[in-house]
Formats: sequence, structure tokens, C-alpha cells
Amino acid sequence: MILRPVHHFIWADPQRRARKLLEFAEVEASGGRDLVRAAELTNDPLLRARYLAHARDEARHADMFRARGRALRKETTGEEKEGLADWMAPGELGMEGLDLARETDADLLAFLHLSESAAARDFARYARVIDKDPATRILFQRILHDEDEHKKYTRGELGRIAPRRERRVLWWARLRRLWKAYLRFATALAGVMAGVVLTLQYFVLLPPFAWLAKRNAKREKSGWNIVDEKALR
Amino acid sequence: MKILGISGHYHDSAAALVIDGVPVAAVQEERLTRRKNDAGFPLAAIEWCLDHAGLSPDDLDAVIFYEKPTLKFDRVLTGLLQGWPGSWRSYPKAMKNMLGEKLWVRGLIASQLGISTRRVRCIEHHQSHAAAAFLTAPTQEAAIITADGVGEWATLTVGTGTKRADGSSEIRMLRELRFPHSLGLFYSAVTAYLGFTVNEGEYKVMGLASYGQPTRIDEMRRLLRPAANGAFTLDLDYFDFLGKVESGYSNRFIDLFGPARKNWQPIDLTSDEGRRFADIAASAQALLEEVMVGIATNLQRETGLSDLCLGGGVALNGVANARILREAGFGRLFVPSAPGDAGCALGAALYADRILFGQPHKAVPDHPFWGPKPDEEALLRIALEDGIPAIASNQAIEDVADALATDKIVGWVDGAMEYGPRALGHRSILAAPHDVAMRDRLNRDIKYREGFRPFAPVVAAEHADRFFELPPGGARLARFMSGVVPVRPEWRSRLAAITHVDGTARVQVLEREMEPRLHALLEAYGERSGIPVLLNTSFNLAGEPIVNTVSEAYSTFRRCGIDLLVAGNVCVTKPRVVRAQILENVA
Repeated sequence: MILRPVHHFIWADPQRRARKLLEFAEVEASGGRDLVRAAELTNDPLLRARYLAHARDEARHADMFRARGRALRKETTGEEKEGLADWMAPGELGMEGLDLARETDADLLAFLHLSESAAARDFARYARVIDKDPATRILFQRILHDEDEHKKYTRGELGRIAPRRERRVLWWARLRRLWKAYLRFATALAGVMAGVVLTLQYFVLLPPFAWLAKRNAKREKSGWNIVDEKALR
Repeated sequence: MKILGISGHYHDSAAALVIDGVPVAAVQEERLTRRKNDAGFPLAAIEWCLDHAGLSPDDLDAVIFYEKPTLKFDRVLTGLLQGWPGSWRSYPKAMKNMLGEKLWVRGLIASQLGISTRRVRCIEHHQSHAAAAFLTAPTQEAAIITADGVGEWATLTVGTGTKRADGSSEIRMLRELRFPHSLGLFYSAVTAYLGFTVNEGEYKVMGLASYGQPTRIDEMRRLLRPAANGAFTLDLDYFDFLGKVESGYSNRFIDLFGPARKNWQPIDLTSDEGRRFADIAASAQALLEEVMVGIATNLQRETGLSDLCLGGGVALNGVANARILREAGFGRLFVPSAPGDAGCALGAALYADRILFGQPHKAVPDHPFWGPKPDEEALLRIALEDGIPAIASNQAIEDVADALATDKIVGWVDGAMEYGPRALGHRSILAAPHDVAMRDRLNRDIKYREGFRPFAPVVAAEHADRFFELPPGGARLARFMSGVVPVRPEWRSRLAAITHVDGTARVQVLEREMEPRLHALLEAYGERSGIPVLLNTSFNLAGEPIVNTVSEAYSTFRRCGIDLLVAGNVCVTKPRVVRAQILENVA
């Protein structure tokens, strides 16, 4: 509720809306790739079928988000460009750096369940604040329906795979998500601090060394550098 | 001696294991982590190599990293200082990058493997390239050229290699060109300008070049000025290797050639803009070839040797390689299956064995198959669990040839995975090479890629000359698909799916000894079609690494328009209902 005005602000502007939708498209696509990987790694045939179906859903969501994002962008700027084609490197995996090869089926299902729950919550929130764009609202509602299905199947499968342990596994997954969020925050903060210190260092300490380096560069001859003098005699 | 070679931290990390002078395992990290061009520390690759040989890290006599981090740091810092104050944005990023992990690589390796740092050594980047090219090649004495973006300081080296009768080996670097004067960086800047991803899209530039004319080569010569002795200099006004690390070209480059292509912009070769991009690609390609041929010609005259070994990322340029073979005066040209940085893991291990530790030379088996083997039984189990028709057949080759002859697309997994970027018959998608429709189908239903990019053929060695105009030594160059040669004019219409717009193809010439099963398939297909040639493209989808395990092959098979999946003797056929669903998704 507190964040409702923030969401309103973000989603009110059609250009920002287009950008967010294109970002969602990339996230869904990379999530789909992760699910394919999960299907490749599991030994459980039922889970393999579930993951492949889920991956297909994610790929479809990516297409839907991309189509709507492009259409919005065209409506607002007249441009068809996506502008985010290289936003994520090809083949890069999306699940918060999760090493799928080292996850058990139960841990992965718990992680998926929490991710789908969070996505469903967010999409419901976005659908509520988008009042002047029915097409995008309907898109979110459609995807929300799938996310609810994903939530249900991941919970059901978790019960099948880890009977009597499911609550513990879910709590463990919540703690891991929290820890990863902290790590992301700490890494970002450390990155900013290091950036400030190094930039200061660059302008305060480096100028005399830069002068020397530039002077030496002028003396360097271009072309071949001889590595083995003897061999050339 | 047991020596582990490691390359990584830039792009395409890898590990390779050499025991008693002979490689026993080598694999790229991306094939195991499934992250395309994975540049991280290659822990999965190391673990697989050691497991494969039944070793623990304590059993290793030495671990060799493929470049010297302190020299690299020296180059990065010097470049940033020379670019002061314009390099202020790059400085924090570069320092965090170098000081965070890359500079301390010996300690990192020691701690990851739990061994003493005394057992970890580093050799120079271009020494690794040279060793990967020369020590794996079946030649006793050869000239060596290595060329890539940049290693520590060197960007291009020339030298010679000798394997003597007493077992000793020598690699002698004669001279080198240094950063920022780099053929690889020049080509990468053009790659970025044309809207492709650097270190990934260079071969797209090569493919696009065939559609253009080198009308802008004089302007290109302003950027890269060749000298009479084969050297060249880059005019740095046209490049920005510090400020724009991802692209590398400056605003002056844009002033000269016009607006850069955006990565989302389609290349329409019927439009003026599309032709402009194709002409720029053709001009850059022509200049790169001219420079490489010049350097190779000078080296041949200087050394009088008849063999040349070529290493480094530039050696992936098959068009340039074929021109070097035709024009530089060498009789044979050897390019390893992994000439890029991934191959440096094997190069570093072999260099240490032969040169640092003085072990006697041993012939390296002349094939690229050093990776994990597939588990055929697992494929049978997975397919049957999913209700997909699968059989283990003793006549799989005949069945596959029948399928190919009826225009089916086949996913082919067989034996140890290739080391290097090319699928050379162990992780391949195979199809009939005759019609343009097949090329379009592969692009549309499987590879999801630009229509201008060609597909490569594989041909049995005995029949290669009948279909392709191989220059003397061409069959050797084509062993690992390293050269682009003309398709004979009379066959072009019947090999339309693999003939590029300029009448050429990047052919793989397959000898029976290297891959008997694929050779048998080619023969069987030849009996049915009269043409023992197949289209051979890597077994992966766009943006993904080549498949490694059968489960990865199976999931790829399920997600795209491949009709038949084969692993050894196990054949899995896609049911019509699944195929219809996939085609619906693609549409």
C-alpha cells in the first residue's frame, strides 16, 4: 500500500511502461532458459515435463511482454526499436546467480515457488495501478493467471518430492533469498564506494604518472618489436 | 608429468590436462556451466578434466595459467595513464576488475585447487597460442603466426617452431606488434560498429562481407596503415579502446563511415543502408586479409619453411586463412581446432611440458575430441519416460541416412565433445545440403538467426576435390573447418544450402580415421543422394553453447525443429504432435 504512489508514478508514463515491459520480457526469457536447464538436470520425469511446460510459458510471456512493450514504444515515440536487445548477454542465466547443477529438486522447487509468488504479487499490484492502459492491464492479468498456476504446481510438486519437509525447505529458501538480497546490496554499495575512492585517486594521485606515461608513449616506435635478437642475425 | 592448463578471465575459459606429454582431456567452461562464452574461473572444466583422468589436484605436477597477469596489469594501467584524463570512467572499472581477482590468479588457482602456489606458473598469452598451434600440429618445423585482440602487450607475433630428433622442442618468437596496434581489435571495432557483439559476432562480419564490395578499403587504410615490412599501425583517432571498451570505435570513425548500425536494426541487403554495411564489412575483411597475407609472405621468405602454424582468434577467419594458404608461399597451413583463448589452456600445458620442463616431444593425436562422452542409455531412458519413440538400433547409420535423404533434420551426438568453437561431427545438426529451402528452414525453425549467415558442409576426404576447389594443402586446412574455399560451379545449384552468396563454403574435409561413424554416414548418404556431402552446423540454439550431455541434446531437440535425435546407436524420433506444437510456437 505504501508503495502504491511509487508504482503509479512508474507505470503512468507510457515510455517508462514500455521500458519496464521490455525488461520483463528479458527476465522471463532468461527464466525460461533456467527452467530448460532445470529440466535437463532433473532425474524426475514428471518434473522434467513440468519444467519444460513452465519454460514454454515463460517464453510465451517474454513474447507477450515484448510485443506490448514494442507497441507502446511505437505509440509513444513512433519507433519500433526494442533498445534492449543486448540488455542481457545471450545465454546468460536469470535466476539470481543460482547454480542449478548444485540445487536439489526440492530446493529448486521452493525457490521457484517463492519467485512465482513474488512475481504474482507484483503483477497483481501493477495491474491495479494501470488504469489508463487496458491492454497492458489485461496482459498482466493473463500472465498472473499463469503465475498462479506455476505457484500451485511448484507447491504441489514440493509436497510430492519432499513430504513432511516442505515448510522447512520453504523457510530455508526464504532465508537464502534474503541473504542473496543482502549480498547484492552489499556488493552494489561496495562497488559505489570503491568507484568513488578510485575516481578520487585517479584525479589526485595519477597526474604525474600520466605525464610520464604520455612522454614515454611519444618515444615508443611503432611497428615490429624485436623479441629474439639472435634469431634475426 | 601431469600438467593442467587453464585459460580464463577474459572470454571462453577452459581447462586441459596433459599426462606424460599427451592430452587426455580438454573442455571449455561454457559447455559445462551452459553460459555462452563463460569467462569465469573454469572450475567445472578443471573438475571434469581431473575426474576424467582419475586425479586429484595433489597429483598434479604443475598448473599453468595461459597469460601473465602482472604484465597484463602493466598494459592496462599504462593505457589508462596514457589516456588521462579521458580514461576516468574506465579507470575504476578496470582497477576493480584487475585488483579484485585477475592480478592474483596464482593465489586464486592455488586456493581453489588446494595446492601450493609454487606449483602454479604463468606463461605469456601468445606463447600459449603459439604452443597450441605448433605443438599440436603434425609438423617438425614450421613458421608460427599468432594474432588476436591483445594478450599482455603483444597483439601479433611471428616466430618459428622446431621439434628435433632428440625429442627437444623449441618455440622462438622473432618479433611482435604491441597494443594498441592490433588486427583483432581493429576487426572487433568494425564488428561493434556493424551492431554485432564483440568476441561473438566477428564471424557474422565475415559472412556479411561476401554480400559487399571492398569499396571503402582506402578509408579503412586510414584506420589501419600497413607498412612495407608487414607491420601496421592503427590511427588511434578512429578508435577508443579505453573510453568505449565495449565498442572500441570513436566518433571520428562514425564521421568517416556514417552512422553505426544499431543491434536491433535488421540488415536489409536490398537497401542502400544494408549495402553500406556489407561494403564496410567487405572492406575490413579485405584489409585484414591483405595484412595477414603480407605478414605470412614475409615470414615465409625469411624462414624458407614450407609449413605455417596459425593461432589466436584471428585464425578463426577462414577466408583469410584460405588466402594465406593460396598466396603466402606455404605448402601447408595448420590451424588447431581451438585457435582462440580456449585453446590456450592446452597450449599452456603443452608449452610447460615441452619447453619449461624439457620433456621429449610426443605426437599429439590429430583430432579435436577431448571433451565428455555422451551416455546413450540415458537418452533412451529419458525419451521412453517422456513417451517419445526411441530405439537402440544396430543399423542407426542406415536409418539416419534414410532420414536425411527424406529431408529430415538430424541432431547428431557421438563420442567425446569437440574442443573449440566448431562442431566437427560429435555435436552437430546434420541436414541435406541441396536446397535453399533447407537453409531457410534451419534458420527459421532451429537456429533463429540472420538469413545472410551461411551453413557449413562436411564431405568425406576422398570426395572433397570433386565438389570443392581445394588449393594444395586445402584438405589439411579444412580438417577442422578452418578455411573457406569455392564450391565447384557445376555443384553450386545442387549444394545450395551450404554455398554462400559468393560461391564459397567453410568446408570440413573428414578423414575416416578421425571420425569413422560420421564418415560412414556420409558414404551411406552418398549412396542415396549421389552426393556424399552433408550440411553440418553446431548442435545448439541461438545464444546457447553447443550441447554437451544427451539431456541437453534432448531438451534442444524438444524445443526446435529437429526431426531425429541420434546418440550412438540410439535414435529418438519426434512425434508429429510435438513437431506441430513446436512449429506453432515458432510461427
